[in-house]
Amino acid sequence: MDINANEVLDAKGLACPMPIVRTKKAITNLEPGHVIEIQATDKGSTADMKAWADSTGHQYLGTVEDGELLKHYIRKASEAETKEETKHEDVLDLEELRQKIDGDESITILDVREPAEYAFGHIPGAINIPLGELEERFNEVDKENDLHVICRTGNRSDLAAQILTEKGFKNVKNVIPGMNKWGGPLDKKK
Amino acid sequence: MANTKVAIIAANGNLFDAYKVFNIATAAAASDAEVGIFFTFEGLNLIHKEAHKNLPLPEGKEHFQEGFKQANVPSIEELVGIAQELDIKLIGCQMTMDVMSIEKEAFLEGIEVGGAATFIEYAKDANITLTF
Repeated sequence: MDINANEVLDAKGLACPMPIVRTKKAITNLEPGHVIEIQATDKGSTADMKAWADSTGHQYLGTVEDGELLKHYIRKASEAETKEETKHEDVLDLEELRQKIDGDESITILDVREPAEYAFGHIPGAINIPLGELEERFNEVDKENDLHVICRTGNRSDLAAQILTEKGFKNVKNVIPGMNKWGGPLDKKK
Repeated sequence: MANTKVAIIAANGNLFDAYKVFNIATAAAASDAEVGIFFTFEGLNLIHKEAHKNLPLPEGKEHFQEGFKQANVPSIEELVGIAQELDIKLIGCQMTMDVMSIEKEAFLEGIEVGGAATFIEYAKDANITLTF
């Protein structure tokens, strides 16, 4: 599958601990919320990237294997996401969302995570517009339908729900908490 | 791993020992841990200006030379550079230096020199303590 990243780090041919040492350096210069692709051939790097992300608080999205080449995707944590304060009042939990999906009415789900996060698993039928592009791209979403906004933990989707309400969307619901607790069906980008 | 402290004693001086020490140390520092290494006895080779560039393989294991090349393992020189860049605290053991009559100037720039108490003071609230 083809995944967009904001930066690409070449760590091919490097042995432990160099892939994570290089990642550490590269992520320092990355914008919060952006995604880096780390290209490595060290077979131990998959386990190490996960562990490193856990240690440092960044988000490990997944790994794509392409023959010997391992492409790891990590999203830099941003401070906005660690804030707990939510402002958009109309919320829906995951169970209610599932019931609506299983119901007869067709519903719109807007996934505001980064394309790389979306690629590693999203709710079937969800459309993807990352939060950072929403101001320019909100016209791609149908204003009349009930709109269900989701992200990983409910914070970016809260901001997105506020933006959309400002733009004149009437029935915007923030789905909480988000994809990190979603147990339903998932589509992956092929 | 911010707020995690790692204290390492490096007491041996061959190439295997050096990799054990510097791989763990740089991985920990790259994971945002605070890392300090106390170099004592043969471990001082690992931070000696000249010796660290050409550490011997353990006796009988010389054939691994080829494997290190093939796996494209970074040189110890490179790892030491990374360790310093990541602000790993390198402490040379004063007592060993005295016994072996080596001056501080023979070691890498930026190392600290201290005794056992220096290490103990550093390690007393460490989360991870390792000896190599």
